[in-house]
Amino acid sequence: MKNFLITGAGIISAIGNNKQETLAALLEQRSGIAPLRYLKTSHTEFPVGEVKLTNEEMRQLLDIPETEVTTRTSLMGMLAVREALRHCGLDPQTPQNVAEMTELRIALISGTTVGGMDKTELYYLDFFEDNTKDAYIATHDCGSSTEMIADYFGIFSLVETISTACSSAANAIMLGAQLIRDGRADVVVAGGSESLTKFHLNGFNSLMILDREPCKPLDAHRAGLNLGEGAAYIVLESEEVFNRRLRVKPAMTPLKPLARLSGYANTCDAFHQTASSSDGEGAYLAMTKALAVANLQPEDIDYINAHGTGTGNNDLSEGIAIQRVFTNGVPPVSSTKSFTGHTTSAAGGLEAVISLLALQHDFIPANLNFSTPMPELSFTPYTACHCGLDPQSPKLHHVLSNSFGFGGNETTLIFSKV
Amino acid sequence: MTNVYLLDAKQISVQSPLVDDWMDNPLSYQEPYICAIDPNYKQYFEPNMARRLGKILKRALLTSRQVMEATNITNPDAIITGTGLGCLENSELFLEALLRDGETLLKPTHFMQSTHNTIGSLIAIDAHCHGYNSTYVHKGISFESALLDAFMQLKNGQIQTALVGAHDEMTPKYFDLLQRIGYLGNTENSFSGETAISMMLSTKQKINALCRISGVEMLYHPINLKESLMRLLDEVQCSLDEIDAVMIGTNGLPTNDRVYAEICPALFPGKKLLRYKHLFGESYTAPGLGAYAAATCLHQQRIPAHLLAPLNPPSGRKSSPPEGDLGGFKHILFYNQFENKNHTFILLSSCGK
Repeated sequence: MKNFLITGAGIISAIGNNKQETLAALLEQRSGIAPLRYLKTSHTEFPVGEVKLTNEEMRQLLDIPETEVTTRTSLMGMLAVREALRHCGLDPQTPQNVAEMTELRIALISGTTVGGMDKTELYYLDFFEDNTKDAYIATHDCGSSTEMIADYFGIFSLVETISTACSSAANAIMLGAQLIRDGRADVVVAGGSESLTKFHLNGFNSLMILDREPCKPLDAHRAGLNLGEGAAYIVLESEEVFNRRLRVKPAMTPLKPLARLSGYANTCDAFHQTASSSDGEGAYLAMTKALAVANLQPEDIDYINAHGTGTGNNDLSEGIAIQRVFTNGVPPVSSTKSFTGHTTSAAGGLEAVISLLALQHDFIPANLNFSTPMPELSFTPYTACHCGLDPQSPKLHHVLSNSFGFGGNETTLIFSKV
Repeated sequence: MTNVYLLDAKQISVQSPLVDDWMDNPLSYQEPYICAIDPNYKQYFEPNMARRLGKILKRALLTSRQVMEATNITNPDAIITGTGLGCLENSELFLEALLRDGETLLKPTHFMQSTHNTIGSLIAIDAHCHGYNSTYVHKGISFESALLDAFMQLKNGQIQTALVGAHDEMTPKYFDLLQRIGYLGNTENSFSGETAISMMLSTKQKINALCRISGVEMLYHPINLKESLMRLLDEVQCSLDEIDAVMIGTNGLPTNDRVYAEICPALFPGKKLLRYKHLFGESYTAPGLGAYAAATCLHQQRIPAHLLAPLNPPSGRKSSPPEGDLGGFKHILFYNQFENKNHTFILLSSCGK
């Protein structure tokens, strides 16, 4: 299990368009949750975590002509994948990489549920009026967003798309490890992308789980979640492949693996389509199994990046599950959804990259908006206001990240220093 | 060396539900849009469940329950689902209500049953399965993605049993849209179907297991398809000569069938080519039904004449009777391509070997 190196990462969300901006926002405790600006909806009462770029601005950053058919999910995905590929020295836009890349089997595994719904909800009525928007019929399904991202780079020899609601990207990362272990890919780019849509904003609203204020994860007075959007991907490869790449291309030597994926587990709460069990059984099993895969004890975990949506149900269920796993004391816990909003299918990717930044820079992201402990829990989230890069900051070795989806699709990932 | 067995499979499609009648009494269709033949769900579900669940969910749940019962594996280690479009009907109902009635009066019911993973989680809730649960949603390779995940985990010992499902429903409106962009046809040779198939895989053979799954390979824009196929066959120590037949996804649409016509003679020269979409129609997860059809032929050691693809040369190098006992019939290769971008192979082998 020590073999899954993470050699690249890319992220775009409400708190920044890359890792550097994300890190700065986390350290400065600057949330990206704000009044609606980009999505056209009448529900302006809900704050959201939007990526602060229009589709046109993203096209320009990617040099994609206006005539080309894209969706917001795929545009954000391209930006995050490009950052991840540049990070690990495999950007196809750098000509000297091309020969190397044709020899590698590179897979793209993407998690999404929204897929091309942002365009479908915009043009659905037009589809039945005339044929002017027909190009967007084919971009509706989830797989299309992955292929648009893959085709932008043209280097992927295996593509797959996972949709397990809010754990999709975490499951994509877990599958990435399986593919490497099975020798089916040399390098895997795995994560997820999800744009905001009226469809799921209204869906979550109909379930009455959206907060009209900035969300308060793990707080007694939490009143629901804020939706967000974004994309984040990590690059996985085995030590053998990475060392071989270093030998072939000595110029790459300054590159160091960010961390390794040491544990993962996927379980099912098997309780309810849209609610978590009161004892957090699925979450408990996911964390326990991931620790076993990583061959770690609960005491080894230095920080938990919680799923922590801010809904009454999730935070209680997850909190109880955390207490059941960490019986000898709960390590610092925070939910960074107080920064990014709940980016649903992309959340596991975003929180993987945030966990990697925490490991790399030895800091614990704060849980914003916390004031009142939950009476049911023995622990409170981490709210320390120090900036992590000071010498007093904790040393992190192992970070555990939870991603839980509707239907009880629970996934835990553990990241460890190399 | 761990073997992976396909123990049993249950389907609801445009052929008679839950049985293998299509082998000898195939139903044929002339219209371009055909819905699955649903069994009487009142026989199987409590009335409120039958009313509450959308059709894709009822089909997935019933086929899953039946295959779990038939194999006596009621708590599989993994539940892995492939679906190209997920709960299309509920998504459409929610979207249309949103666009028609505005954003204020929406009820959660359709939204709650609109996500793709509703299918896999429903099965897990019903069977109280806390194990691995995932859902693959990649167009025409959704089923193979799910199968590959199960296959890898079974092979490397992470799990011993896996329920793999392939499910897609179609609606009249979405049919119109997909027909307009050329994914579905409107000729009498080509029709849109619906898919619900649940398979039980296990590392332990049982009496009446349908076949073994010897290999699975998925490729995107392959540079050299032949090389990839040879690598797959090498890994499982099977030569091309030992393949008895190749099951392909011709569906009567020229854009699709042309790809097979170009690739098959080069990749599988002289091989008997079999088809399944004339029975089950086109849908993103139709390959699940194709793999099941191939498995059934291996299990029964015969190939009905109607399965022979029109692409077969009039007299093949290895001519054999169109139907009947094929004596020592060992391997069927399943080959699927989607828009000539995604290519997949599944090698199915008789349990005997």
